Amino acid sequence: MSTSSNAYGAGIMAKTGKAFADEYFSEENQVVHESNEVVLVLKKSDEINSVVHEILLGDRKADNPTLIVEDRAGYWWLKATGKIEIDCTEVSELLGKHFSVYDLLVDVSSTIGRAYTLGETFTITSELMGLDVKLQDLQTA
Amino acid sequence: MAISAATKAATDALAVNRAPVSVGAQEVHRWMQSFTWDFEKNRTKYSTKYKMANDTKEQFKLIAKEYARMESVKDERQFGSLQDVLTRVDAANRVHPKWNESMKVISNFLEVGEYNAIAATGMLWDSATAPEQKNGYLGQVMDEIRHTNQCGYINYYFAKQGQDAAGHNDARRTRAIGPLWKGMKRVFSDGFISGDAVECSINLQLVGEACFTNPLIVAVTEWASANGDEMTPTVFLSIETDELRHMANGYQTVVSIANDEAASKYLNTDLNNAFWTQQKYFTPVLGMMFEYGSHFKVEPWVKTWNRWVYEDWGGIWIGRLGKYGVQSPASLRDAKKDAYWAHHDLFMIAYALWPTGFFRVTLPTAEEAEWYEANYPGWYDMYGKVYDEWRARGCEDPDSGFLPLQWFIENNHPIYIDRVSQVPFCPSYCKGASTLRVLEYNGKKHSFSDQWGERMWLSEPERYECQNIWEQYEGRELSEVITEGHGLRSDGKTLISQPHTNKDGKMWTLDDIKKINCVFSDPLKAL
Repeated sequence: MSTSSNAYGAGIMAKTGKAFADEYFSEENQVVHESNEVVLVLKKSDEINSVVHEILLGDRKADNPTLIVEDRAGYWWLKATGKIEIDCTEVSELLGKHFSVYDLLVDVSSTIGRAYTLGETFTITSELMGLDVKLQDLQTA
Repeated sequence: MAISAATKAATDALAVNRAPVSVGAQEVHRWMQSFTWDFEKNRTKYSTKYKMANDTKEQFKLIAKEYARMESVKDERQFGSLQDVLTRVDAANRVHPKWNESMKVISNFLEVGEYNAIAATGMLWDSATAPEQKNGYLGQVMDEIRHTNQCGYINYYFAKQGQDAAGHNDARRTRAIGPLWKGMKRVFSDGFISGDAVECSINLQLVGEACFTNPLIVAVTEWASANGDEMTPTVFLSIETDELRHMANGYQTVVSIANDEAASKYLNTDLNNAFWTQQKYFTPVLGMMFEYGSHFKVEPWVKTWNRWVYEDWGGIWIGRLGKYGVQSPASLRDAKKDAYWAHHDLFMIAYALWPTGFFRVTLPTAEEAEWYEANYPGWYDMYGKVYDEWRARGCEDPDSGFLPLQWFIENNHPIYIDRVSQVPFCPSYCKGASTLRVLEYNGKKHSFSDQWGERMWLSEPERYECQNIWEQYEGRELSEVITEGHGLRSDGKTLISQPHTNKDGKMWTLDDIKKINCVFSDPLKAL
């Protein structure tokens, strides 16, 4: 079991019964607390399983040491601090066929954070896109 | 046949320089921006007290061609799975009978939400002035049509392929009598399409979709899988692949008003009202469906809620917007209390009113009671011992002459209906955040379960005039009400709902109900 604070069962989630209730109802937990994490839900599929195993947990694992991936039956649940990025040109190379960012979106089931596309890259970030950071359009060469 | 010199020249040139057959979707998206789209002076039928900015973006840069291609792939995968492998392995009959009943509620109710979201996002398309924001809303209109069909299809699939079709088919016919229907219409209909356009967006997109679709459409698939249901993950996870764009639409709606002076005055109130409106129904109903409508438990509902609603939606969406003046919802403390207890309160009432429903309900087994007590200390003393009493009095047996509703009457625990949320509550026997408040208006009494709904009602009481089942059927005997409200199976005598899911158990009929002589009375009349 992962000890990362981003894990599905981390923190209060590891507690049960009265211990859970005590923390859940504690005064400090009666308001929301700002979080710099992002959550991504990927529907399992032939391509997505490759993206998860070969890219996010494979070639690109070192890029984002905060990333946690958990198997939740029909979907992969991902949580990371700051952002998660998937470059679909890398996915195309891996799969041996054209795989656009919109092919990826076929199986991106949910996002908590600000998700956007630029070119062939899908990003989910904790940044406030459109408020703190401008959303970019594709630039031509 | 000889070709002309001109044709030959053209053919030769094309052989060297192939004409482009397509360009990248995002290049098209950028190119379309060079058109002079100007909606700044847009006139709308659906006004808002906020001024929506004219330069808001759509985060996925979606053009119609890619949208259509993407959605067709989703449908091919989903329907391909359902009609091929899932049918071949008889998946619908592998579902645990308790979960089969839960899906009668979840999918039928979600269908109503999706249907109303079509209108809601059409309204927002009309209200917005930023071209990209309009584009985002337009995509969502089409998504919601797809989702309505998907929800309808999953009920059709369960009804056709699976077990106990009654309730999967034609659930809407019970909408007048079912105690969960009117509350569902409040969150899924009224909250999405009535009033200020931006307030509707906050209800639908920022709270309904960004917050509650995660337990309702994502986490539910884990419960489904655990209980043998592979149809629901196939359909619901496909639905949710559109929801991320809807969440982005809701976020961009907030971006569009973030610098408007009205936001500093009204946004926190609108957000709190939307949060309370949505949580008041979803929190107890989803918790009840997950825990009481399953045999195999994934985790306590309060943990699911704590993760998706409090930590992630609260922290990542609302918490991050703090520097723009967005505050933690004032009603959060009561919502958290509800997330721990309200689904237990609601199940007691739902079980007591089972003859008016369109799905079968089951009391917790001894093994489940242990699970509840371990995860919700104090559960047995409040709920478990009552269920033991009901079971001892033969609540599942049509020959017993006992309906759990009688227990509430005998013990002087009246069940009221909250005027604003339409959620039933029993203030003298509950552990959630409900307390009784009664106000009189135009010669009529109104009951409320909390200060948040009461405040909303005080600002526009005419909005919440929907009759509840006690008012509608005051003085009427229960079997008459069931007949009138279409609560019977196709044989015309057996109730759709039953107080058990035992396929060998005896089914209650209209005659069994009639001999109990249970007459509806409005508890407000006694005050």
